[in-house]
This record gives sequence, structure tokens and C-alpha cells, in this order.
Amino acid sequence: MDVKKVDHLAKRIIQVMVGIVAVLLVLIIGYILVTGLPQESIDFLFKPSQAVKAGGGIRDQLWNSIYLLILALLISIPLSLGAGIYLAEYAPDNKLTHFIQTLIEILSSLPSIVVGLFGYLVLVIRFNMGFSILSGALTLTVFNLPLLTSNIENALRSVSDEQREGGLALGLSRWQTIKGILLPRTVPEIITGVVLSSGRIFGEAAALIYTSGQSAPALNYLNWNPLSPESPLNVMRPAETLAVHIWKLNTEGLTIDADIVSAAASAVLILVVLLFNILAHYLGNKLERKLTGGK
Amino acid sequence: MKDYNIVTPKEEIRISTKDLSVKYGDKLALHPTTLAFPRHQITALIGASGSGKSTYLRSLNRMNDKIATVEGQILFENVDVNQPKINVFELRKHIGMVFQRPNPFAKTIYENIAYAPRYHGIKDKRQLDEIVEKSLRQAALWNEVKDDLNKSALALSGGQQQRLCIARAIAMKPSILLLDEPASALDPISTGVLEETLVELKKNYTMIMVTHNMQQATRVSDYTAFFQLGKVYEYDKTVNVFTNPQVKLTQDYVEGRFG
Amino acid sequence: MDADIKKRLLSPSKATKQERRGKTVTFITAAFIIVLTFAIIVFIANLGLRTFYKDNVNIWEFLTGTAWNPGEVDSHGHPIAGAAPMIVTSILVTLLSAVIATPFALAIGVYMTEYASKRQRQILRPMIELFTGIPSVVYGFLGLTILVPLMRNTFGGTGFGILPAILVLFFMILPTITSMTVDALKAVPVSFRQAALALGATKWQSIYKIVFRAALPGIFTAIIFGMSRAFGEALAVQMVIGNSILMPENLVSPTSTLTSQLTSQIGNTIMGSVQNDALWSLALILLLMSLFFNVLVRFITKKGKMNGR
Repeated sequence: MDVKKVDHLAKRIIQVMVGIVAVLLVLIIGYILVTGLPQESIDFLFKPSQAVKAGGGIRDQLWNSIYLLILALLISIPLSLGAGIYLAEYAPDNKLTHFIQTLIEILSSLPSIVVGLFGYLVLVIRFNMGFSILSGALTLTVFNLPLLTSNIENALRSVSDEQREGGLALGLSRWQTIKGILLPRTVPEIITGVVLSSGRIFGEAAALIYTSGQSAPALNYLNWNPLSPESPLNVMRPAETLAVHIWKLNTEGLTIDADIVSAAASAVLILVVLLFNILAHYLGNKLERKLTGGK
Repeated sequence: MKDYNIVTPKEEIRISTKDLSVKYGDKLALHPTTLAFPRHQITALIGASGSGKSTYLRSLNRMNDKIATVEGQILFENVDVNQPKINVFELRKHIGMVFQRPNPFAKTIYENIAYAPRYHGIKDKRQLDEIVEKSLRQAALWNEVKDDLNKSALALSGGQQQRLCIARAIAMKPSILLLDEPASALDPISTGVLEETLVELKKNYTMIMVTHNMQQATRVSDYTAFFQLGKVYEYDKTVNVFTNPQVKLTQDYVEGRFG
Repeated sequence: MDADIKKRLLSPSKATKQERRGKTVTFITAAFIIVLTFAIIVFIANLGLRTFYKDNVNIWEFLTGTAWNPGEVDSHGHPIAGAAPMIVTSILVTLLSAVIATPFALAIGVYMTEYASKRQRQILRPMIELFTGIPSVVYGFLGLTILVPLMRNTFGGTGFGILPAILVLFFMILPTITSMTVDALKAVPVSFRQAALALGATKWQSIYKIVFRAALPGIFTAIIFGMSRAFGEALAVQMVIGNSILMPENLVSPTSTLTSQLTSQIGNTIMGSVQNDALWSLALILLLMSLFFNVLVRFITKKGKMNGR
């Protein structure tokens, strides 16, 4: 066969393969939204779930997912800021630094079930925290820390040295230069990273089934005492999240309308991930524009 | 002709170095150098790329600390400021620096200038306003930006950005200003404005400026030091260096015969 | 005045204190990462190795044995803990899903970097990003409600097994491999392509002979990352694989991976029991495999650099 024909054929095959994947992806999203969304109602989002009976909602699971996400971010952002700043700004170019960078790569590629089991072993059992929001949030921190750290490290490294020298030449300490001059410059990139990782945290289940647990005791949203077991703010209560709920509905199969609830909950998850994706781009671009003077 | 011609200016000396040398790893980038800089004058450091002039300049406010080994003395205010116990942050308040490429911060024009003084303890808004205005006036930028103080500094033109960086440096009220090829990234018109600004600033500041551009050195500076391969060969009044050099290397260089 | 400056030059200020504090605090957080990584390895290895030194399971039998019933003992008095079915299944689903996903990932990668218009790129890129973000339980749910019944109707039996697992993993690792492949292809200098085209090569020849070759280390890295993700994926696989500890007979017989066994059993055993120890040994294998994938990536990157890229 002559080369022209091969060239043409190759292009065709590639186009067909891309087309197949695109159609499949659209079908997946379509399927979930079409089967899930009609079940969606304000009511579904705001009523408690049912263990066996049909007609359960996802009120508490949704709240648990949000609460866990917030706590995990509150813990992991300061930690990864510190580590990211150290690696990008203070760390000398030596073996120890390369070692830490290697560990971060290892940590970020650990299967989430392994991270979850570690959390179970250390937090739930050793430190006696039980299946609780706190155990879950700390485990998610392990999961999120390496990703955010390298995000922040890379963002800082992309700032030119001229900015650093500019700050230092004014008699600012290195710390102040980082805090006042470099970090504000990297905010768009860091925000994008945080929002994207939020999407991952929100949908994570494997790291949570043995840390924040698989049960969602009914909550009383008028109870704001963080020590009360039915308070939504309590961090020591077990808390099944939305993603864990979907898994549990489908593996234990006790709930009569498991399919319907799962489809609806999946639709919620996908919409949230979509929202986070859009938000990441939007915020990133907007902050970038604001920073560079609206050009 | 002589091998070396290094004079000691008769004016009051503001800063000087004694046997200052710089090593990058094992490589000696600057041989022991002894120079004295007169108060309220502009000294130009000229020479080819890699001659050590920028290395020398950056050592004066200890910007080479983490990068190189700097040995010898830097005398400023009767103290050797090249010793570990010196508070470099304090030192850099007195010895300001302007870089090759304009490097305004991603902040408003106002904040670019007010940021460091505020950090160093000036919290009063009126006082800061005053500093911002005065620095911008001195850097000949006030009339161009006085209505846009809250706009991002990154929206300014290159020449304006560089003058902003000068304003930012003099807002600290330094006694010495180091300039590392400040016009190299600018177009000819902006360069002209910048040079006028520098001459104007001479009334209040002692300036040391690295430049590639010999016309610029003759237009702006009072003294000139010629660097070649990590050594200073000639240091004298600019007029003398350019019209009557005492060293063959200098003569070749200023007449355009490099190397 | 003079004396004042001199004194300030010689005494510490706010800045010097900040400097020390900043460096110390950030170093502590970085050191925390070291502690954390070692803690994970030590804790899991500590429990995972108990099977061998405390419960007297022979490592070789553990790796090759096909019977898994750690609560019982065999004729020699050793617990019956043969993890081979899970190891084999894990490796099979990983390899097979990578084999299917890689051609598609390459096709999309080439399409995006070589053929697509700017507009098409603008649609494809966010789409891939969105798919990277879809939670694994959603894929698992889809596999369970669509694929498993489909398999049951087509091949008979339960419908659970390796095939639905591979298909689910295909969707999960495709975006990973694709986006890294795109990066690798993008990193090939435009001049390479122009040189090939100038010599009279067709577009496909320039892609196949020049671009692919130059991007090979990056593409391998992408595939390994995809495999690493497939090997470690727990819930989506657990939902469709059937979870019976049998050697896979064919692609649609219920079986079990390391992750699926861990997911479904760790909550059902008592800490310190032989059954529990054996599960931690499975976790240790997962951990070691993850380390192995890391080493492999490093090796390829190094090799790629040595070959001039």
C-alpha cells in the first residue's frame, strides 16, 4: 500500500477511535444525568436516607461530604503550604530535598485503599478515634497532602527569581518575600489546584469506608453543640459520605430502591465534580486577570 | 602604559571594598578588588559580559550570600558589612537595588512602593501617602501615574515599570543605590528618560551602576571602573577613563576593540 | 546617627527572627511528610509480615497457593493462605485494561496534538479533565447496573468477573494515560515534525517514526501511571468482580483482586487474628507494587534522559 493511503487510513482510524471514546463518554454522563436527575428534587437532597425502605434521601450524606471536605482542606492546606514553601524556597539542592520529593511522589501514587487502611490502623484503632469525621478528615489529608504540596511547590517555582530578588533587595526577610510577594502571585494556580483536589476528595470513597465509617446516624440540624452526637458539627461521630453511600447501597443491596437512589446520588456527585472543574477554571482565569491588571 | 590605574576619589567616600573577591564553587569570578565610591556621585562599572562587574555589584548588598562565597571587606558606615553577624535585611534598607529587568510586584502601583516601608514599621497612612508621592516624583513617574495609583503595576510600560522600581527602592530612603544594567530592557526613549532621572537623583543618592552601554556611562557617570575577566584594571574619573585611559586594555575596550 | 545605623546593622531585627521562624516551621511540615511516608510503610509492613514470622505461613506458598482460608490450617499446621488467585487477577485486570486503554489514549493524544482544530481541543481537554474527576464509585455503579447484566445476558453465569472489571478500569485509566500522553507528545519540538515533513514524509510517517519515538519515555510513563491506578483501584473493581477467591477460569467467572478482598473483608476480621494478618499481607503487596511502579517510572525517566531526551 502506498504511503499516501496509509497516511489517510491512519488519520481515519484515529478519528474513529476518538469518536468512539467521545460517544461513550457522552453516553456515560448522559445515562447518569438522565436516570439520576428525574429523581432529583429539593426533597431528595434534604431528607434523610433509608436503610431498607424506599424513598430515602441523601441529606446527611451530602452534609457529611461537605463537612469532611472542609475539614480536610483546613488541615491539608496549611501543611502543604508549609511543605511546598520549604521545597520551593528554602530547601537546598541536596540529597535530603530530593528524598522528600521522591517521598511525595510515592505518597501521591499510593492506592487510596492503602491510605484508608493506614488511617484505619493508626487513627481509628491505635489513637482510638473510632469511625469518625476526624479520622476521615485526617486520612483525606494524607491523600491530599502530596498533591497540594507539589501543586504549591510548582506554582512557587514558576515565579521568576527577579521577584524574589526584588523583595529581598528591599530588606524584606525571605519569609516576608514569600508571604507578601510570591504567594499572592501564585494564588490563581494554587486556587485551581485546591478546587480540583476538592473534586477528588468529594468523590473519594475507598479511603473513607474504614475511617469515617459506613453509617450515618440521623442528624439534628438545629443542634449546634459540637459535642452532641446528633449535631452536624460533631467531629467524633461516624459519617457516611455520598460516595460511600453509593458504594454501600450497591454492595449490600438491602435498600429496595438502591438503583434509583444511587443514580440520583451519582448525578449529584458528577454535577459537583463538574462544578468544581468549572469553578477552578473560572477562578483561576479571573484571579489571573485581576493580578495582571485586567489585560 | 600602566598595568593598573586605580585612583582613590578625593570626595567623601560613602562605601568602599577592600580585597573583595567572589567564588562560585571553586571558580574565582572576581579577583580581590579594592574600590572606593564617592558620595552623591554616579560610578559606572563597565566591561564585557562575564567580566565580574555584576557579581561585584550584587555583593555590595549581599545579594550573593546564598549563591557564592564572598571574601574581603565592604566598608559602609565604618562597619565591615561583609561579616556573618551583619543584619543583611537592615543593610539592604540602606543599600537599595534596581535590577536589569523591571520587576514590579503583582500589586497596585501604590502598594509596590508602600509595601516595604510599611513592613519596616511605617503604619501611618498619611506618612505612607507622602512617601509614595515623593518617591514617584523623584523617579519622575508621578505625573504619569498619579491618577492610577490603585491600578496594577504590571499594566505599566517597561520604562515606567523600571522607574517604578527606582521609586520603590528610594522609598526606603537608602543612602546608596545599586543599578544593575537598569536600561538594558528599555527602548531608547525610555532609556533617555531614565538617564535624566538618574542624574537628577544624584543630588540625594550615591549610585553605582553596571552598564554595557559606554555612551550611557559617559552621559551619566562621574567615575568609571573598567572590569575585565574578573579584575578591575582602571578606576578613575569618567572623563579620564574615556579620553585618556592609562591602561592598554581599557583603551582597547573604550575604543571598541574588545579582547 | 552614624552610631545608630551601626548598631542596627549589628543587631537582629524583626526580619532576622522571621527568617529563622519561617525556615523552621516550613521544614517541620516538610519533615512531617517523611515521617508520614515511613509511618505508612512501617505500620503496614509490621502487620503484613506477621503472617510470615508469627503465623508461620511460607512466603512461597502465600504467593503461589490457590486456596485462601486463613482461619483453617493445612496438614502441616500452617494457615491456608494462598493469595495467588488475587495476585493473578490483580495483574490480569491491570494488564488487560492497560492494553485496551493505551491505543485509545494514544489515538486521542495524537488527535489532540496533531490533527484537532483549536475548537476541538477546547472541547476535548475539559472533557478529559472532567473524566479524570469522576469518582470511582460512579464507575462501579455503572458497571454494576449496565455491564454486569449485559455480561450475564451475553455469556451466562453471574455476569461478574474480570471482563466488566477491565471495562470499568478502561474508563478510569483512559483519562490518566491520555492527559500524560498529550503532555509527552506536546514536549516534542515542532522542529522535529517540520524536519520530517520537509524530507517528504507524510504526516503519519512523521508522527509514527519521529514524534512517537521521541515521546516514547513519556508515553511509557503514562501507561505505567495508568497501570498503577488500575492495580490500586478498589471500589469500582470490587463492585463488579464477584469477590469469590477463585482462580479466574475465564473473563466472566467471579474472582477477586487484592483490593476487592481487602475492601470487603478487613472489617469482618478481628485485629491480631490470623485472618486479619493475612489481609494486611495483601495490603503490603499493594504497597510494594505501588513502590515498584514508582521505581519503574524513575528508571524510564532516567533512561529517556540518557538517550538524549
